[in-house]
Amino acid sequence: MSAASAQSRPALPSIDFSSIRPRPRWRELWLLLLVGIALSVGSVSLGATERVQAGKALSFSPAQSQPLLAYLGALLLANLAQVLAGRRTDQVLLPAVGLLGGISLLLMERLPQNLVSQSIGGMTLGLGQVQLLWLLLAVAIITVLAIVVRSDAWLRLYKYTWAAVGIALLVLTFVRGEDVNGARLVLRLGPLSGQPTELLKVIVVVFLAGYLSEFRPLLVEQDSRIGPLRLPPVPYLAPMVGMVAIALGIVVFQRDLGAALLFFLVFLLLLYVATARSAYVILGLLLFVAGSYLMYRLFPVVQSRVDVWIDPFRDASGSGYQIVQALHAFARGGILGTGLGAGLPMVGGRPPIPEVHTDFPFAALGEELGLVGVLAILGVYLVVIERGLRIAAAAADDFRALLAAGLALVVGVQAFIIAAGNLKLVPLTGITLPLISYGGSSILANAVVVGLLLALSDKGVEPPPPPRVGGRLAGLRSRLVQSGR
Amino acid sequence: MDPLILSLWLIRLAFLALLYLFLFSVVRVLLRDIRQAAREPSTELGRLIVAASPSGEPPSGSVFPLDAVTSIGRDVNNSVVVEDDFVSGEHCLLTFRGRAWYVEDLGSTNGTYVNGDRVDGIAALGFGDELQVGNARLRLERSHR
Repeated sequence: MSAASAQSRPALPSIDFSSIRPRPRWRELWLLLLVGIALSVGSVSLGATERVQAGKALSFSPAQSQPLLAYLGALLLANLAQVLAGRRTDQVLLPAVGLLGGISLLLMERLPQNLVSQSIGGMTLGLGQVQLLWLLLAVAIITVLAIVVRSDAWLRLYKYTWAAVGIALLVLTFVRGEDVNGARLVLRLGPLSGQPTELLKVIVVVFLAGYLSEFRPLLVEQDSRIGPLRLPPVPYLAPMVGMVAIALGIVVFQRDLGAALLFFLVFLLLLYVATARSAYVILGLLLFVAGSYLMYRLFPVVQSRVDVWIDPFRDASGSGYQIVQALHAFARGGILGTGLGAGLPMVGGRPPIPEVHTDFPFAALGEELGLVGVLAILGVYLVVIERGLRIAAAAADDFRALLAAGLALVVGVQAFIIAAGNLKLVPLTGITLPLISYGGSSILANAVVVGLLLALSDKGVEPPPPPRVGGRLAGLRSRLVQSGR
Repeated sequence: MDPLILSLWLIRLAFLALLYLFLFSVVRVLLRDIRQAAREPSTELGRLIVAASPSGEPPSGSVFPLDAVTSIGRDVNNSVVVEDDFVSGEHCLLTFRGRAWYVEDLGSTNGTYVNGDRVDGIAALGFGDELQVGNARLRLERSHR
């Protein structure tokens, strides 16, 4: 017995550097080339429009060539680094994500630069420059994770540790966080500040994947019944529901509704991916409706959000101002858009939509690229989701499958929640549009997601997943299954 | 039409067209990938990888595609024959019921272990779990697609 458990300890993955051979990634390079051409043309379009608006002579040259060149150069370097590392990872994710980041760069260069100003070492950087720095850092994170992560043991074995880290992060934010627009979103630790919920979404997915993969055989069995719904043994569902309840509870206390919605939807989706039982989803949706109604009655924040959603024009210059302006922007854009740089006339020196760079980039893109452009961008998000689900389908074991599916879904669902919010399809919740919105926490957290997805997609070297070390819970689970028979 | 407006208009449309060219290329890659996966139809419910086998039979690293009922033991009539002194003739049974795998110990002398825990009767088995019979360790994996 002791020999068995000693054997089952995972060995640290040892990398044999002599076995690493470069492996060309022509498909990725070709797609990156297309991204480069598209972004260059976009930049020229933006530059020409801006010059015409400024009353200068028309000339077809990019608006600002250095930031775009730096960004495209970073993407090429990422491709080169992965070629040298020789891993057989996915070749579509990086170009897709690269396109989203590039569109973000064009948009942030085009918006008024004084929306954000940060001074680093005596230099004052505007919106576009800060975003460029975050995007370069994101490409670096993606590349490093895709090359270095060769084992998922550090995620798989410590799921409760990760859950504890997540809860600690939330509590810390609640105690020490700073309020932004009525929601306690920002945590400042020394010189660092950020939105912990962005990091938390990665941690929640890791925990759910670990927990669901361990208890999947039990969750697909039905032992207890509530009416026509057949449920798994309640003790196994309890820690998970508890975890989600804590996350939701604190998030509700912080009045960060977007994150609460995102976590709950990802939880339901992963539960369905793990068990393929629609009863869970139905039960979850019923709970969701009941919970939403309760929150609507209890919290004035929720009430005002829903009221604005139902009729933003009732208070079009007050609480409904943001969403009304966004709707106007979409309307101005029409089908083909006004063109990059031609939308959003300034109102009193500021863009008409408040917080356009964080919460409403989708509306800005809707105005300048029109329905056609916005559909293309949603298509790119669909591509990211499809890649994640394919990586999940090809994974050798439950943990990897659930992790890959969860990571892709968390990005995709977030994109669709905020896009639907901007379009007034659902009540607006203040979350970011992944990889397009301005903001370090959001960009970096999504880069971590993409980097992990790339690492999980490697089909070449697949180190055996370490078996879960048998503990008290594992013993309990074999006993319970037996007694249930 | 004013050539200035026209050229602005054209480059604007070129950008949109290039976005769709990118999407089109990506979708072509994805379709090829999906077709390739569909060409190798897999009716496997899972596979058993031999992680360690001191006796050398089956050699470690070998792969057994699993049927819905797979028996493991030393007897040659088993689906997976493990030549090991500590394995019983009919050692254990892997069954796929509904949506999950189960392992049932068939009264073996030295027991069946899942992730180091002795199976008492029947136990659920998840993908990635490790099964120990005698000195041999076998890992249950999803079949590749």
